[in-house]
Amino acid sequence: MSLEIAYAAMGGDLETVRGRLLTDERIEKFAKIFLQDTSMQTLENALEAGDFAEAYRGAHTLKGVSRDLGFTPLFNAAAELSTALKLDDAGVPADLARVPELMPAVRDAYTLVVDSVAII
Amino acid sequence: MNHTKQTILIVDDSMLNRELLADMIGDNFNILQAEDGKQAVAAMHKEGSGISLVLLDYVMPQMDGFGVLEVMNRNGWINDIPVIMVSAESDAAYIERAYELGVTDFINRPYDVNVVRRRVMNTLMLYQKQRTLMGLVADQVYEREKSNNLMVYILSHIVEFRNGESGMHVLNVQAMTEMILTHLVRITDQYHLTSEDISLISMASSLHDIGKIAIPEEILNKPGRFTDEEFEIMKTHSAVGAQMLDELELYKEEKLVRVAHDICRWHHERYDGRGYPDGLKGDEIPISAQVVALADVYDALTSPRVYKPPFSHEEALRMIRDGECGTFNPLILECLTAVADDLKNRLNRGVTGREISVDAARLLDSAFDAAGGAEASSHTLELLDYERMKYHYFASMSNEVQFEFTEEPAMIVLSDWGDRKLGLPETVMDPYADEAFIGVFGTENLDVLSHRLRTTTPDSPDVAMDMEVTVDGEPRWLHLIARARWSDEAEPRYVGSFGKFIDIDDQQAQLRDLQFKAYHDPLTEVVNGAFARKAIVERLSEHPDGDRASDRFVLLVCDLDLFKQANDTYGHQFGDRVLQHFADRLQDSVRGDDVVARVGGDEFLVCMECPVDPRPLIARIHGSLEGEFEGFPLSVSMGVATTDGGNRDYDELFRQADVALYTKKRGGRGGFVFYDDLNEEERGALAEAGTTALSGIDSDERDR
Repeated sequence: MSLEIAYAAMGGDLETVRGRLLTDERIEKFAKIFLQDTSMQTLENALEAGDFAEAYRGAHTLKGVSRDLGFTPLFNAAAELSTALKLDDAGVPADLARVPELMPAVRDAYTLVVDSVAII
Repeated sequence: MNHTKQTILIVDDSMLNRELLADMIGDNFNILQAEDGKQAVAAMHKEGSGISLVLLDYVMPQMDGFGVLEVMNRNGWINDIPVIMVSAESDAAYIERAYELGVTDFINRPYDVNVVRRRVMNTLMLYQKQRTLMGLVADQVYEREKSNNLMVYILSHIVEFRNGESGMHVLNVQAMTEMILTHLVRITDQYHLTSEDISLISMASSLHDIGKIAIPEEILNKPGRFTDEEFEIMKTHSAVGAQMLDELELYKEEKLVRVAHDICRWHHERYDGRGYPDGLKGDEIPISAQVVALADVYDALTSPRVYKPPFSHEEALRMIRDGECGTFNPLILECLTAVADDLKNRLNRGVTGREISVDAARLLDSAFDAAGGAEASSHTLELLDYERMKYHYFASMSNEVQFEFTEEPAMIVLSDWGDRKLGLPETVMDPYADEAFIGVFGTENLDVLSHRLRTTTPDSPDVAMDMEVTVDGEPRWLHLIARARWSDEAEPRYVGSFGKFIDIDDQQAQLRDLQFKAYHDPLTEVVNGAFARKAIVERLSEHPDGDRASDRFVLLVCDLDLFKQANDTYGHQFGDRVLQHFADRLQDSVRGDDVVARVGGDEFLVCMECPVDPRPLIARIHGSLEGEFEGFPLSVSMGVATTDGGNRDYDELFRQADVALYTKKRGGRGGFVFYDDLNEEERGALAEAGTTALSGIDSDERDR
């Protein structure tokens, strides 16, 4: 029951995840492991330090993981950020100007996921 | 590692991703994890084809997924280890590049358990099947080759048997044909011969004389010269052999049969057009027949026949070159010259076994080339796995740290317990720039080692050296043996090295301990007489021509006056403690680099450099030695010799000090005497006594 509540709280897509990951045990296990995932921290630190390759890596991982686990709002926010941060051949982010406006959404979605998973 | 399970390497920078994939794949596999590309390369380097599958992410720090694939291509691992890319990327250029680099499949995000499992199983089974098939093909090719050669050999042997020729003729012609053709393609490409063609021609060469089966036996085995009529009959064997093959009901269009036909019909043609049956000229004669003709002539010359003895190898070569046995294509004669030495070694040895294995190996190569460039059969892979297992076992038994170093990528892999012994991780990337690695080995050791490895040669690639390293802040001695690896290219490149570190610190400590014991008195731990002599001789010879006063040495011999009483009254253990105490006092009363030695029971020697007047110094030392130890009075007699008289010979100085001590003892105990102060009579006293002062004093004391 608590999985459903948590996913409802964060606006996640539990049904699709059940279709892909098959068991609630697995979903619950990895939702909790997500709390130990460091990519959000990697992203914040790298942006602070101006290391865009590392920032892209953080956003990219966040995007992948949140998609696997059906954290839809976080996935959408991270995906947009990831696109903006993606480096071209010269190592320059695609759309750096959008990063400040995209970051708050990522932070909010992340916090919401963390708070929701905490109640499982 | 569990050898019954297959091993899957998961490469992803996100812990959650790795765990998720591992969880989805299930418990039926050994899972290895790598956090970035470099770790992945290290794992592959270590496990080799022990890894059955790699799941590879693209975006990673250090080295990304394409970087890993590039290394896998460079090392040929991509042929043995299938890779599935796991990534959210769906860009066409990205996917194309991944396929170009040899990726087998993709798993798209988000993960679906069923999809992940199916992709993994499919890929594993595909590769498993390919390995099994490769093994089957290899075995079948080998078997088929063996039977083919065997049949041809039996057939041609029947001809020979009737012919009364040595059983080696067919084998020799076959071996020689192959050698000449192999050389021919090296010097010219005008005949368009592949290695398969050469193999086929060599095999078909065995059939060159099958036409002789139709020649009456009395002609075939006639000991003397043929009549013209007989010779004409004999000459028909080439056309008859060809005809026999032409009349085969089946297979007459097979390549082997066509080649055998050409050889049978034309192996008696001559390059100048004067041969039979068709009088073909130059390259009108197929190259196969040209080569077999030469091989036939050579072997006929060097073999005994009913009508002639064998000629020597050298004589046969000369006769052929001089045109005594017909004219040949100059290119083929050139080949004959080139392989002449080899011929002598390889003919008449029953070469069938070699032929089979050579052919089988060659066919296998081409079979595998066709199969997509794979290089090893499943059997070979099993052997490799076995060797690897054996290697790990012995390595773990030996308690040595083994290593493998590769130039590209610059990386050193240490054996499992390397971390325990050296405090380093198993894999160190870029070791020449790695702080921890340099911390252990030191820049200087690494520079020396690198230089020595790079200045080896492929013929002499080994290096051995001892080095002091730092483990956990403590110095340790290691013995290193290593072999440099050089590439096979015409200009060999240094590609890496392997070897082992043997901890010899305990050995070195033992050695130091032994050295210490060899030179020290075990009771008092001051040096012994032998070492003192060596050290003093060295010092005396250091500046023999220097200014005498500032370069003065003083040698004194001293003796505990009442020591025998200490032993007798309080026992030997007390006596030992007196000696230890006295040695300590003596050591304390001189400078650190002066020599203090125990040279006899209670006799000690001191040697020091003394640029100032030695008398006050000696008086001070003497004063500091006298006193008492646990109620036992310490009274000390000393004899002193100096280099003032110009004498710098140790033995002479020692004798002088000894004489002075003897004089002192005779004159009453306690105090010191300089040899320089003695009169002639005193100086001669000891010589007359004909004994040493020390032994004299000892007996003196014993008498008391």
